[in-house]
Amino acid sequence: MSLLDELQELGANVEEGKGRFMGNVSLYERMLGKFPDMVTQNEIRADFVYPDYTEVITKAHTLKGVTGNLSLTPLYTAYTEVVNLLRGGEPERAKEIYLKMLPTQEAMIRCIRQSSQG
Amino acid sequence: MKKRILIVDDVELNRVILAEIFKDVYEIIEACDGAEAIGIINGNEEIAAVLLDLIMPNVDGLGVLRDMNQTGKIKNIPVFLITAASSEEMLLEGYNLGAVDVITKPFLPHFLRCRITGVVELYEHRNNLESLVAQQLKKIESMNQSMVETLATIIEFRDCESGEHVKRIRGLTEKLMVEAGRQYPEYYMPPEEIEKIGVASVLHDVGKIAIPDMILNKPGRLTAEEFAVMKEHTTRGCEMLEQIPADVMDEGVYRYSYDICRHHHERWDGKGYPDGLKEDEISIWAQAVSVADVYDALTSERVYKKAYEPEKAVSMIHNGECGTFNPRLLHIFDVVMRRDASEKQDGE
Repeated sequence: MSLLDELQELGANVEEGKGRFMGNVSLYERMLGKFPDMVTQNEIRADFVYPDYTEVITKAHTLKGVTGNLSLTPLYTAYTEVVNLLRGGEPERAKEIYLKMLPTQEAMIRCIRQSSQG
Repeated sequence: MKKRILIVDDVELNRVILAEIFKDVYEIIEACDGAEAIGIINGNEEIAAVLLDLIMPNVDGLGVLRDMNQTGKIKNIPVFLITAASSEEMLLEGYNLGAVDVITKPFLPHFLRCRITGVVELYEHRNNLESLVAQQLKKIESMNQSMVETLATIIEFRDCESGEHVKRIRGLTEKLMVEAGRQYPEYYMPPEEIEKIGVASVLHDVGKIAIPDMILNKPGRLTAEEFAVMKEHTTRGCEMLEQIPADVMDEGVYRYSYDICRHHHERWDGKGYPDGLKEDEISIWAQAVSVADVYDALTSERVYKKAYEPEKAVSMIHNGECGTFNPRLLHIFDVVMRRDASEKQDGE
């Protein structure tokens, strides 16, 4: 099974993603390959305890843009909600959404890493 | 040749996608933060559009916009803000700083291409039009100047002059005005005003067209009655200028012309004509034309006299043989004359 098929099974809108890269599939796959590092660079603490939420909003905002552009739709939907809830002063609900999304993000990262190793 | 667009984003992924979307249409330049972008925008390469991320390390998108406002580049280069729905205040500030539109993430490629190429074409069209208007304006100004010079030359021909007189008056008047500003700060005028005074000086004797030939070209001395008619060329010149429709001549040139026409025969001690103005009641530009006119008349051959040598003309002006002049203006005149003489010597 190809990387794009696997991601599609996990909910990614692969056709939309290919279109965003003007049909250049190898470029799309190359950029997907960078996604794990982008997540590490913008890692959000799982306990979600922050003195203020500016830092986590910035990180979630960056990942929202990245997942949107890579068409990793379930992640994009979750990060959009997390940003909105944090800006709206509801960190508890934001944490709930974030934790619920994490397994999908981890699964997608696993697929990408395996594909680049293979 | 392809036009260049600048993509500014600290996230490589965003730059890569935008480059992919536009690489067929434009040459792509990338910058990964605001400081790098400012360097490129202010460099030598012409940029057709900037796609600008708002949140970046070092200098952010708003910082880039502020710099473009300072340099004036924002007027000619369209800027699109890249955002994943950032805060409303930031977007509003971006718009207030001159951004034309917002690109939201996730990007919609075909939609983006249409929108950005449309705006780039619009800006290009507008920039071309602005440069065309500036060229036309310059052409109109130059045509206006030519008309003024032609008119003045016609008058000089009636006065048995070649038309060179008005050109020399203009040259000397402009030199006197520049030097006046250097020697005395109160006389300083910006270069564009001095240019208008130069154009206006050409019309100083326009009223002579209303003076009969027998007086204008009389070889001998004028009688008191004839001199009274001759003096009218100052006020008759103003009457003629009043007939010129308002939109034909630049307003500044018109004001200077009117003043110079009327007052280039006034004298520092109040013994000139037509109004008997004295000292600083006479504008510095009318005074400058007076000195230039007298000097040129002395050093030129006329129906009633031979040409004097420049040194003799300068001493006659200093001695008050042609009326009294502003002592500061005489100092300015000396400086200009000395410089002209030494430049002439160097040229030889």
